[in-house]
Amino acid sequence: MQLKIALAGNPNAGKTTLFNQLTGARQHVGNYPGITVDQKEGCIIRGEQKITITDLPGTYSMTAYSVEELVARDYLVNERPDVVIDIVDSSNLERNLYLTCQFLELGVPLVIALNMIDVAKDRGIEIKVDQLSRLLNVPVIPIIARSGFGQDDLIEAAILTASQAGPWISREISYGKDLDTTLDTLVTEITENSFMTDTYPPRYTAIKYLENDEQILEKGQENNADLAGSLEQTVASVADHTLKTLDVYPEAVIADQRYGYIKSIIRQGVETHRFDTDRLYTSDKMDKVLTNRLIGPIIMLLILFGLYHLTFNLSELPVAQLESFFGWLGGIVDKTLPDGLIKSMITSGVIDGVGGILGFVPLIMFMFFGIAVLEDSGYLARVAFMMDRVFRIFGLHGSSVMPFIVSGGIAGGCAVPGVMATRTLRSPKERMATLLTVPFMNCGAKLPVLALLIGAFFHENKALYMFLFTMLAWVVALLTAKLLRSTVLRGDPTPFIMELPPYRYPTIRGLLIHTWERTYQYIKKAGTVILGISILLWALMTFPGLDNEKVKNFDQQRQQAITSFSSEVMEEINLKAKPLSEEAGTLSEKLSTINNAEAEATLRYSIAGRIGGAMESVTRFAGFDWRTNIALLGGFAAKEVIVSTLGTAYSMGEVDVGESDSLGQKLKNDSHWNRVVAVAALVFIMFYAPCFITVVCIAKESSWNWAFFSIGFNTFFAFLSAVAIYQIGMFFQLA
Amino acid sequence: MRRKRGKNSDCCLSDRVRGCFGRRGCAAKNIHSPLRNCRGRVRVCKVNGDRKVCAKMASMGLYPGVEADIICAENNSQCLVKVNGGTISLDPATSENILVTNL
Repeated sequence: MQLKIALAGNPNAGKTTLFNQLTGARQHVGNYPGITVDQKEGCIIRGEQKITITDLPGTYSMTAYSVEELVARDYLVNERPDVVIDIVDSSNLERNLYLTCQFLELGVPLVIALNMIDVAKDRGIEIKVDQLSRLLNVPVIPIIARSGFGQDDLIEAAILTASQAGPWISREISYGKDLDTTLDTLVTEITENSFMTDTYPPRYTAIKYLENDEQILEKGQENNADLAGSLEQTVASVADHTLKTLDVYPEAVIADQRYGYIKSIIRQGVETHRFDTDRLYTSDKMDKVLTNRLIGPIIMLLILFGLYHLTFNLSELPVAQLESFFGWLGGIVDKTLPDGLIKSMITSGVIDGVGGILGFVPLIMFMFFGIAVLEDSGYLARVAFMMDRVFRIFGLHGSSVMPFIVSGGIAGGCAVPGVMATRTLRSPKERMATLLTVPFMNCGAKLPVLALLIGAFFHENKALYMFLFTMLAWVVALLTAKLLRSTVLRGDPTPFIMELPPYRYPTIRGLLIHTWERTYQYIKKAGTVILGISILLWALMTFPGLDNEKVKNFDQQRQQAITSFSSEVMEEINLKAKPLSEEAGTLSEKLSTINNAEAEATLRYSIAGRIGGAMESVTRFAGFDWRTNIALLGGFAAKEVIVSTLGTAYSMGEVDVGESDSLGQKLKNDSHWNRVVAVAALVFIMFYAPCFITVVCIAKESSWNWAFFSIGFNTFFAFLSAVAIYQIGMFFQLA
Repeated sequence: MRRKRGKNSDCCLSDRVRGCFGRRGCAAKNIHSPLRNCRGRVRVCKVNGDRKVCAKMASMGLYPGVEADIICAENNSQCLVKVNGGTISLDPATSENILVTNL
C-alpha cells in the first residue's frame, strides 16, 4: 500500500527544503514566506514501502484567512494523508506550535520535525525533545533540513505513526469556561445531527464556528441550513458575551488560550535559553539599519545598482567569447556544407537564432546568482517590506511586491510564476491589478533584448541604462496599477501583515543550485521551444523563394559585374587572397552589394517579410522597419525569440558568415537603427503583450477576458509610448 | 514623563529625521497608544479593526497581552515588530489599530 505523507508548517519553516532533501526534487526554495502557493508531490521508496510526499503551502493557522490556508486544509480533509509531518522552526518554537495545536485539534496523525535545531543552538536555545514529545503525545524528531540531518529517523517515525493511526480524534484544549460550555453545546448538536462529521471531527467544526471560519460556515449552510443557523446563533450569543466582558471576539480568546496551552508545555522545562530572551539578534540589528526609512531605500538602490554593475562587468568577457564561438561555428558550417536550404537553416535558423540566445547565458547566470544571494540571505523580503510603502500609493498591496520581484523586478525573473504568486493576495481587485501589471517587469526573456540593444547603442554606461530601464518598468507597472485601481478595479485597500525571515548566510551549494536551476531552464527553453520557433520563423522568412525572373535578373547583374573585369580578378577573389588588389576589391564590393540586395529581396518576398512589410505602414511611426516587425511578431510566442529572429533576419542578408559582425554591431551599422529607435524598441518590447504562456496563465488565474485585455491594453500602451519616444526623439534630433 | 507628540507636530525637517531614527518618545507607561507611535519593548493591550485581520494577527502571535519589541524606528509608516521570536511587518493602518503600553 502506498503511504501518503503531507509536509505542513509555518511559512519559511523549511518544508520545501525538506521536501527536496527527501525526494531529490528541485522545487524552488527561498528565504521569504509564501514561495509555495500550491501543493507539490514527490515519491520515495523506503525498503518496500512506497511513499508519496506532498509539500503544502506554509500557513499560520488552519482557519480560512488566506488561499494557502485553504489549500492546506482542503488537502488534509479531502485527501486524508496517513500522517502529517509538521515542520517546526526550533528557533521560534512558541509561535510554530500554534499551528501544531490546530493539527492536534483536527486529529490528524502527527509527527513533529523540529527543524533548524542548529540555528536554535546558536541562539542559545536548548529544546528537550523527549519532554516535548511526552507532553504533546506525538513523536518529535530534531532535524536540519538543509543538511539532511535526522531525515531517516523522521521518515521511520512517520511510517510508524501511520501504521498505528486510528480515526481522527480532536485533542481537547480548554478555552475558558464560557467558550468550553458553548463548545460542548455545539459538539452535542453536531454529533447528534452527524453535521459534516464525515469531513471534520465534531469538536473541530465547533471551534471553526467559534472562529467565524467563512469556508466552514458556508459549507455548513449548504449541508444543513437549519442546523447551521442554530449553531451560528449560539456562536453569536457567546461572541456578544465576550465582546461585552472582554472586548474581544471569541477567536482572540481561542488564540490566547492556545498560546497559554503552548506556554504551559514550554515552561515545563521543554525550552531553556542560555541568553537573555529579550535581546535583539544580529538580524534585528541589521533590520534597524537596512529597513530604516531614510537609509534603507538608499542602500536598496545601491545594492541593485551594484548587482547590475557586477553582472555586466563580469559577464562581458564570457559573452564576447561565446559570441565569437558561435561566429566560428557558423563559419565552419558555411565552409563545410554545400549551399542550399539546409545550410541556410543551420546557419540562419539554428546558429544565429539559438546561438544569439545562448550567447547571453553568462549574463543570465551572473544575474541569477546575484538574485539568489539576495533571496537566500533574506534581503529580498526586506525589499518587499520597503516597497510596500510605495505600493500603497499606487493602490497595490504589500504582498504584490513578491509577484513583481518574481516576475523580474530585479530583471531576470519570469512572469508565469509571478502571475501564480498573486494567489497570496486576498483582495480580488488588488490581485487583478497585480496580475495585469506583473508582465511589465523585465523577465529573463527580455534580458537578452535589453543587453543587446543597450550593449549596441549605450555601450559606455551599460549598467546605468540597465538600471534605468528596470526602474522604468517599475514606474510604468505602478502607474498602470494606479490607473486600473482608480477605474475598472476600484476598491478599498486591504491590510498588509507579513513575517520577515531572519537574515541567513546563503550556502554556496544553495546559491549554485538556484543559479543552475534557473539558468538550466533558460538553456532548455532555448534548445527546445526557441529552437522550434526559430526554425519556423526561418521557414517563414525563406519561403516562398524569389521568383525565377528576379533570380535571373540578379544573376545577370552578377555576370555583368564579373565580365567587366578580367578573369584573373575573379580568380583572386575565389582564392581569397589577402590583401586584395584594388580591382578585386571593387569587384568584391559590387558582388556583395548585389548579393545583399538579392537576400533582402528574398526576405521581403517571404511570408514573414510580407507581413512585416504590411505592418511597416503603421510601425514606421515608432521607427520600426519590416525586419524589426518580424522579430516583434515572434515575441508574441516568447520574448527570447525577438533576439533570435533579429539574428536570423539580419544574418540572411550576410554574405560571409565566417567574418560576420555580432548582431549588436549589425544593428548599429544598419541605417534603420539609431539610439532613438533603440529606446523606442526597448520600451515597446518591455511593455507590449505578455508572451503566450503568460497569457494562458493569466486566463487560468482570472479569465480569458482579462487575458485578452492584457494583450490589447499592453500592446496599445507600448505602441503609443514607442511612437511618442520616436517622434519626440527624432524631432529633437537625439538619434 | 515624556511629552507625547502626534504626527502633525513634525514641524521641521530635523524632527522628521529624528523620527526616522527612532529618537521620538512614546506615550507614557500605562497609557494605551497606537503601536506605530512607539518604540522599544511594549505590551499589546488591544487589537482593533477587521475581525479576520485580528484573527490572522493572533495566529501570527500578535494578540492582547503579548509582549513585543518594536524593531524599526517609528516612522509613521510601516512597523517591524518582533514577537515570539518572529519579525512581523505591519502597514500603517494595522499598526494604528494595535494599542500598546511601554514596558
